Amino acid sequence: MEYKEFKEAVIRIAAKMQIAEYELYYEESESASVEIYQEEVKGYGTENRMGVGLRCIVDGKAGYASTENLTEEEAASLIARALDNARSIESEEKSFLHEKGDVYAAGVEMDETVPAGTELMDMALGVQKEMYQADSRVSDGTQTYTTYTRGCYALYNSNGLDLEDRTAYGVCLGMALVAEGGELYDGSKRKTGRLQDFDIRDIAAEAVEDAVSTIGAGSVPSGKYTVVFSNKAMATLLQTYSDIFSAEQAQKGMSLLAGKEGEKIAADIVTIVDDPRYEDGIIKRTFDGEGVAAYAKNVVEKGVLCTLLHNLKTAANVGVKTTGNASRASYASVVGVSPFTFYIQPGQEPDLLAAAGGGIYVTEMMGLHAGANPVTGDFSLSSAGFLIADGKKSAPVKNFTVSGNFFTLLKEIEKVGADLEFIRGKYGSPSVLVRNLAVAGK
Amino acid sequence: MISKEVLKEALGRALATGADYAEVFAEHTRSKNINIISGKTDKIGDAVISGVGIRIFKGTRCVSGSASSLSAEAVLGCASRVADALTGSALIQNVVLRERIFGDIHPIQIVPADAANADKIDYLRQACLAAKDYHDEIVQVNGNYIEVDHNILIATSEGLLARDRQIRTRVSISSIASMDGENQTGSATPGARKGLELFEDFDPKELGRKASAQAVTMLHAGYIKAGTMPVAIENGFGGVIFHEACGHSLEASCVALGQSQFAGKLGEKIANEKVTAIDDGTIPNSWGSVNIDDEGTPARRNVLIENGILKSYMIDKLNGRRMGMESTGNCRRQSYQFEPTSRMTNTYIAAGEDRDKDIIASIEYGLYAKSMGGGSVNPVTGQFNFAVNEGYLIENGKICEPVRGASLIGKGSDVIMNIDMVGKNVARAQGMCGASSGSIPTDVGQPLIRVSSITVGGR
Repeated sequence: MEYKEFKEAVIRIAAKMQIAEYELYYEESESASVEIYQEEVKGYGTENRMGVGLRCIVDGKAGYASTENLTEEEAASLIARALDNARSIESEEKSFLHEKGDVYAAGVEMDETVPAGTELMDMALGVQKEMYQADSRVSDGTQTYTTYTRGCYALYNSNGLDLEDRTAYGVCLGMALVAEGGELYDGSKRKTGRLQDFDIRDIAAEAVEDAVSTIGAGSVPSGKYTVVFSNKAMATLLQTYSDIFSAEQAQKGMSLLAGKEGEKIAADIVTIVDDPRYEDGIIKRTFDGEGVAAYAKNVVEKGVLCTLLHNLKTAANVGVKTTGNASRASYASVVGVSPFTFYIQPGQEPDLLAAAGGGIYVTEMMGLHAGANPVTGDFSLSSAGFLIADGKKSAPVKNFTVSGNFFTLLKEIEKVGADLEFIRGKYGSPSVLVRNLAVAGK
Repeated sequence: MISKEVLKEALGRALATGADYAEVFAEHTRSKNINIISGKTDKIGDAVISGVGIRIFKGTRCVSGSASSLSAEAVLGCASRVADALTGSALIQNVVLRERIFGDIHPIQIVPADAANADKIDYLRQACLAAKDYHDEIVQVNGNYIEVDHNILIATSEGLLARDRQIRTRVSISSIASMDGENQTGSATPGARKGLELFEDFDPKELGRKASAQAVTMLHAGYIKAGTMPVAIENGFGGVIFHEACGHSLEASCVALGQSQFAGKLGEKIANEKVTAIDDGTIPNSWGSVNIDDEGTPARRNVLIENGILKSYMIDKLNGRRMGMESTGNCRRQSYQFEPTSRMTNTYIAAGEDRDKDIIASIEYGLYAKSMGGGSVNPVTGQFNFAVNEGYLIENGKICEPVRGASLIGKGSDVIMNIDMVGKNVARAQGMCGASSGSIPTDVGQPLIRVSSITVGGR
């Protein structure tokens, strides 16, 4: 059955069982994707995804269950599972549902038509062809991917909230492989947004340049260096450590920012913003994972921690108002806390490499799920980039680690660039300059 | 899950426009995870995943589709949608499906869904309480229990109809030790292709104490000084070094496209002669085992490297076509929503002949990596990295004080040449491996090994 019928079935059964507090969270999406190898379409796929998550509150305890199987019997089983799980919760923190009454931003108008496969193929084949033409060393193994996704998030609860957000975006990814002197080098360029805004030549040129610029990269001697993190490298670090701003993590003793509201946690030049409808963001949301109106806020302003990110429960635990950051990683996930579009505000400094004089320009960091620990703040990350000589980008370098502690790093950011850039349309940063970081190389 | 008639009709529709192969993958999965924090159950996730993924091949081209439903309408609609991407007439007609029953070598004693939440919570609580009681520096313990009951069905235009039921259970205890505004973590995370009988294999209190001991040890450790040095890597999760440095680069998904440092090197010496490495999907009740892979090919034991010589890649059907090679039973996908490709199962370095004490004694100044964290690799360049969760300095052949913040990096093809001592005692450990076809359970493993020289990241 369709979701609408399934929802009605759940409402009917819940009424019969006298369940007073519950919430349905529904996600549905449709996407098409193309993969190019050599100069041919290697793969074409279409996906239809859908699922429903139910949260029942029994005596202040939240029980969850989710399903993709929308039938009358499943509606009854979904409720039974959620109730059973609610009864197993021992935490004394009180869960509750959001009431009506928020003022919600208007949804964003967008074209939700998933383009024909041929349109995605033409674009991807175009990028692929341009990559082969950009440099004679571009080799087989070079690939292009294009994807288009449209989706919807809907929330209904027994207080009468009935909300829906919609989203649609395209992605084009060029991955160039360059062979030189028996070694392989790779580079990539990802564009996210409206397909008609993508420039095939730019994507191809940047992907190839990304690979070619690393040719001949060697390591660096171990020591302490001035490091400029590129905008994307810093955005990657911010993403990895975004959990430290979660009040849920803080209340559970898993964030060292617990109780630091109002204190200096970063350098004066650091302001960090969370914006659910950032102009260039990919997904624009009007409500959070519990139906609270989503709004923009400074999380860190001029180095001072203004607020942690809250959902209804974490806010009630400490007697503050929620920041509307309840998250559902998917309809199958329990309610957590996370930012929307989250970024370090750009500064004025036009050229951080000139400001650094010498050191290392780090453009890529790898293995963040393992080499960076949000609980301790420690990181030791395999990195790649370029030497900085006479204030300019110089020889490529790789196979070294950059180590430090994120909490310390926030305080030691000396300069913030003007070049704000986002990764995956969600986490953003300008380049930043930090002195005296430990580097392990040859 | 889906009737034979509907499967036959779906394969017929998928083949209608000239594909030379069609496959229906259907899935019904029930999973649960329970989280205990501060000694109390905090969150329980409980999900049903149910849907179909259909693929057709024409030569080395693949068209795929998926839908979150197992209804006849959704399955047939998906098959038609996939066929619409080709324009030709049917090459294959009248598929005759013959069900094959591959033996299940992974007996399950207690199906997790049959047990009450309370049974699972009791076990977790014992582990968490023991972890908290271990030391007064332990400020928080996070306990997680995960069960997955993954039912799959595969039907292909070659006439194969096969099923598998994969039940897996895992416990994860993570402790935080804190002192003077500084945190350190420790963990224990055993799992198996078993039901609740997993609980009998591990004393919960020992798991808790193990996680906390690691956190407390690291809280009192200094940072390691960065540099290049010999490293002794312990058995069990230490095997992540082979998984990252070499394993991913032997998957057909990158070999077939020339995206691997080891493409075209079958029969050549790519590793130190002390290295023999195996991927074995048939180990009974092991975390990464499957009876059949996600294309319906029975799992196998594949010797990847024998005494340093490259013997085999890990191959799925689609990439096998490009390589002109048969599947090795390594095709895997997280769910119907992911396109499957070649992946590892249980991968390990086989036992060698060196004694553990000789390995440690051989190192004048270096690192003993007792417990490893996860890692990653770029198969194209071979650049890999992984984190050391618990490490100790080795000085004059003896294990000395603990050190924190170490990570190991290098190029896979260099590092497997540098594995120059291999111990006798193989142990395996469990991980979740993420790649294009999603997050899948894999085992890594090895005996204690020595890497003669590797870059150690630190302060």
